[in-house]
Amino acid sequence: MDLSNVIQMFGNPLTALTLLPIFGAILLMLLHWLSNDQRREMLASPIRFVNFSLAILMFIMATSIGLQETFGLAWGEYLYQNCQTGEIIEGSCALIGSIGVSWHVGIDALSFPMVWLTTLLIPITMIVEWNAKKGAYFHSLLLLMEGALIGVFVSLDLFVFYVFWELTLIPMFFLILMWGGEDRRYAAQKFFIYTFAASVFMLAGILIMYFNNPADWSGNITNKSFDFVLMENSTGFIAAEGLRSVVFLLMLIGFATKLPSVPVHTWLPDAHVQAPTAGSMLLAGVMLKMGAYGFLRLGVTLFPEQLVEFQILLIVLGMVSLVYGAIVCLGQMNLKRMVAYSSVSHMGLIFLGIATLEPLGIAGAIFMMFAHGIISPLLFAVCGAFKHHYHTLEIGSMRGLAHHSPWMSAHMMVGWMGSLGLPLMAGFVAEVAVLIAFYMAFGWWVLLPAVTLIVTATYYLWSMQRTIFEGEGVAQLPPTMHGDKPRDITWHENTGMLILGVLAVVYGIYPDFFGMFEMMSNWASLLVENVLLEVRP
Amino acid sequence: MGEHSKPEWNLLVPVLAMVSFPFIRHLLGYNPIDSAFLIVAVPLAIFPVILIIGQQYKGEDWWKHQLKEGGIVALAGLAITLSLTIWLIIEFLVHHAHFGDQGAVFDWITFDNIASDNTLTESVLSFGIWVDSISLTVLFVAAFLCFLICWFAIGYMTTDPINEDRNHRFFAEFVLFSMGMFGMVLADSFLWLFIFWEIMGLCSYLLIGFYWEKPSAAAAAKKAFLTTRVGDVFLMVGLFMLYDLYHSLDFAVIFGDPTLGGTIHGEDLQWPIIMMFIGCVGKSAQFPLHVWLPDAMEGPTPVSALIHAATMVNAGLYLVARMFPIFSEASFEGALSDVAMLIAWIGGITAFMAALIAFVANDIKRVLAYSTMSQLAYIFTGLGAACWLANEGYQKYALFAFGAAMFHLFNHAMAKAMLFMSSGSVIHEMHHAHDHAHGDGDEGDHHHFDPQDMRNMGGLASKMPVTSTAMMLGSMSIIGIPLIGGFWSKEGIVGQAWNVYLKGGEMILFPAILVLATAGMTGFYMSRMWFMTFAGKPKSDVVEYVHEETQWIKTPLVTLSIVTAFSGFLLACGHFVYWLSDPASEKGSHFMTDFFKHPFEAILYELEHAFLPEDNTLKIVGWTAILLSAGLGPFIAARMHGGHLSEGERAVPLTSWLIRYSGSVGHTDVGELAEGGLATALHNRLYIDDAYEWIISKTLIPLSAISAWIDKNLVDGVIKRIECGSQWASTQIRQLTTGKASDYLLMAALGTLVVIAILWGVI
Repeated sequence: MDLSNVIQMFGNPLTALTLLPIFGAILLMLLHWLSNDQRREMLASPIRFVNFSLAILMFIMATSIGLQETFGLAWGEYLYQNCQTGEIIEGSCALIGSIGVSWHVGIDALSFPMVWLTTLLIPITMIVEWNAKKGAYFHSLLLLMEGALIGVFVSLDLFVFYVFWELTLIPMFFLILMWGGEDRRYAAQKFFIYTFAASVFMLAGILIMYFNNPADWSGNITNKSFDFVLMENSTGFIAAEGLRSVVFLLMLIGFATKLPSVPVHTWLPDAHVQAPTAGSMLLAGVMLKMGAYGFLRLGVTLFPEQLVEFQILLIVLGMVSLVYGAIVCLGQMNLKRMVAYSSVSHMGLIFLGIATLEPLGIAGAIFMMFAHGIISPLLFAVCGAFKHHYHTLEIGSMRGLAHHSPWMSAHMMVGWMGSLGLPLMAGFVAEVAVLIAFYMAFGWWVLLPAVTLIVTATYYLWSMQRTIFEGEGVAQLPPTMHGDKPRDITWHENTGMLILGVLAVVYGIYPDFFGMFEMMSNWASLLVENVLLEVRP
Repeated sequence: MGEHSKPEWNLLVPVLAMVSFPFIRHLLGYNPIDSAFLIVAVPLAIFPVILIIGQQYKGEDWWKHQLKEGGIVALAGLAITLSLTIWLIIEFLVHHAHFGDQGAVFDWITFDNIASDNTLTESVLSFGIWVDSISLTVLFVAAFLCFLICWFAIGYMTTDPINEDRNHRFFAEFVLFSMGMFGMVLADSFLWLFIFWEIMGLCSYLLIGFYWEKPSAAAAAKKAFLTTRVGDVFLMVGLFMLYDLYHSLDFAVIFGDPTLGGTIHGEDLQWPIIMMFIGCVGKSAQFPLHVWLPDAMEGPTPVSALIHAATMVNAGLYLVARMFPIFSEASFEGALSDVAMLIAWIGGITAFMAALIAFVANDIKRVLAYSTMSQLAYIFTGLGAACWLANEGYQKYALFAFGAAMFHLFNHAMAKAMLFMSSGSVIHEMHHAHDHAHGDGDEGDHHHFDPQDMRNMGGLASKMPVTSTAMMLGSMSIIGIPLIGGFWSKEGIVGQAWNVYLKGGEMILFPAILVLATAGMTGFYMSRMWFMTFAGKPKSDVVEYVHEETQWIKTPLVTLSIVTAFSGFLLACGHFVYWLSDPASEKGSHFMTDFFKHPFEAILYELEHAFLPEDNTLKIVGWTAILLSAGLGPFIAARMHGGHLSEGERAVPLTSWLIRYSGSVGHTDVGELAEGGLATALHNRLYIDDAYEWIISKTLIPLSAISAWIDKNLVDGVIKRIECGSQWASTQIRQLTTGKASDYLLMAALGTLVVIAILWGVI
């Protein structure tokens, strides 16, 4: 690669969106690491500020991408692709030419919402943890995380995709390890090894796809390419029926673990409970969506027949996650653990939505990714603030939060209500879309997820009753307060939560805000029209 | 207290100014249907304003006294909605027709469906405004009562020190609730009806839990939300089914042609309607999902008056009424009559059960709560009868029954709102009188005295003339004393329920008998409440200090008294019933105009219709209902609980006749009866609540605990086992590092072979 290639690379907004945060974060960390103790103290605040400015810049860039284009793309088309089909291998995009790895990025209606959500959440997590006195590395790690996450969503080369996929683990690992709770060491290790092990299955799937990519060209050692667009457009990609099923299942293992789906979900509660607030917010807000995104991008798009073949498996996985997750929630005594399990439960709806094979169900599943990406960070921000100010997460350890911390209670109520699927909040749109489609596809079975909504309402309301309310006469505070005076949330936390709460309501009233639902529904329709319609039973 | 008793009329100036809002819109060239979305948007916009300003400036003088902690802002907003509503009604009456689909506002979500020929067809779930006689009636009830109860609440809430600095929350949630109610009534699709329906549920939750620090209030709020949620989930499933059939949830599509070009049969609609009806059962507090309503009385009294008596609980009725066109569809004849019968049965059972429990309730608000359940059940029975008649092809009777049921909704809402406000007035004064009598600081005693318990009252008629008159009129309307309020509609409901029996619906016999019996029981428990509160000698020393207060409380009571006393009669003579069921029909299109042209003929016609129907059975039923409700019920109540006032106390002429009557019919002691097994069971609400609690504590709670344990120890345990296993394996593998180059070479070669085998062998 010569210099002109590099310049051309960064001329692409998606490349900049991916690499700028990564390099920026690494530079800032190096700067901090290389300076002496005295300078470090001086630098901490400016570094934090630069981090934040970069995150805001990323948000502006992502927003401007959304503002410029209406995303009326045809199937298989991507915006801001940095190379055309002919150039992927031999042209300027080649990254590791010898084995067919290219720097190929692009964005479409499936990835844009996720990219925008990522750029939105990162500054919010920074605001929420602004004054948490966590040193200069903390915000840099968040920025690194942003680059890795965007990389997952925009890269169209499976090798690069996998690299970014694993790269997201590193900042999260350190976030948990360095700023986590009491049991952070165990949680960080479990998180890393568990999800890493699962994505090895995905890697195996990617490798099989790579070696079976029929597009053939000379110029590198294997004559193969990792490029997703080539795989998508080629006919006769993996001919053997059995092998396709194997790849699909390998992918499913990787993505279901990330989502997470029962029975491979147990890393999530531990990671969440131990992670710092910003970590939990990103984990629930974006990292879980990587599983759903990957499944839609790789599993559904490339292996539609297998989707139909394993439809029942998906429904079982989704249904068990949904119902079992909700019931487990009801038995939790730890606020953060409860919210973590509620994520498991809600992610079940994504599998159910995809399994309907209806455009509405798939659009609903994608909107669920987005809506949950707004609401669950709010939930974790509230949990984090609760832990921060009351030094406990035990449900029932206190009463009358509304008296001590009215703002925190208000945010808690907004988040809880949004999560239980209250109409006019984002979650409801997704729920209704998925469940209507589910009824159209499977009839009376819809009663199971529908009745689960009652359980969901029960655990949320019950936990509110035992924290926000009650406490007549004497105020009851948790013993962990050691007689401290209870406080309300700081204005940093308040700002972050307010933005999320307002967005949750805006997207509930008008899901097409910023073109979101329209975009997703278009993508789902294209998917069904071009891919699923032929294979539907 | 003293400083608050000023009339404060000057504060109403901004409120009155808001009435000019429709005129301005009119001058700007808008028509009312285009402005109708403002009825929803204005409260929605006011909600955050009150909440945020209130949170920021609570305690400031201007906020507390000039704006009454947001009350004036809320009242001004509700004045806008009320005047817009009246504008809409006038326009509707002038044009004699419904506006149809003119009020589209915005598309909510757009997506594709797979049609039967494997092509994609676009489908939209949109929000728009739907206006017809039913929605206008319920909208008027809601807008009018929201306005009056907000007025009342300003007097009721802001004078109680316990509400200090948090009334902004009350008014904000109050306004949000009104937004939900208006939206539900105006929505042009089942989906948006449901969305606003849930918003009301949220506000109900928040307002029942207004005194969140009280464990009982927090529990009641949760119970209300969850119980209605059970119904709502089924309603949602009903919506899905409906969507699956019509590929739309718009009224215009579904009611335009319920058969969808002959592709949909009546049988297909049975389950969707039943599912949606379960939602109605939850929202309107009918058996078996009624358990939340009595507990909901934990909320402040204006909330009970508005949400849990006059508006939100009508939502279920409104939804059933909305589905009436489906029952009337000629090609569905006979297919849905069982569903209609189910509606009537649920109504009959609830009416009777709630009236029975109301016999023994001593809390004045709980009596009213059970009465609400019972009266709503009446309307369900009426709607069930109407739907049955419609589905069996008796259109004429069906329309009459339907109109009567909706008319009862109107009468009941007006009367019950007033009754709750009166009870609020009593409670408010009892509370203050108690503070006055025993001193404010007397905390210990405070807990033993229940200002809502009727056993502490008695003889209040002379102390509270306006309240006692209002309560008397409201009770008369609910009981169905001839010529007043609810009489006109109740006769129609009971009569048509029996008419179903005459027309061959034998199954209705049971609910028909129950509602007839309930007529008499209503006469008893409503009279009992009035006599216990206002007649006889004072039962506690607190009563002596009671006096009526501020115009904020009195004005709405007087307004509603007039409405309750005369509206039933006027509207009945003005063919309201026919207008409700079909505004384009012969009588319906002459709504009120006939009455003004030939008042005597119209009155004579209605009187004859009400007292001397052609059919002999109906005549007997009608007169039985009148004798039971107006004669026997109040008589027994007067014997048990009535009595003259103390020496020197005089009631106003409007109520004194009733007290004289109650004192002159003698006395029966019922102490023995009140301790019997039935009374105990009734006190425990027939153990239904206990049974539900027992079931949940024995199933769901243990199940969740077990699941949590399984997840921690079994599901995660497997992972932990693998972890330990891999540690063991790694120690084994470590022994492979022998340090000999030949071993490594061997392993490398083996590995390469395996890789090659995988790459080429499998393919």
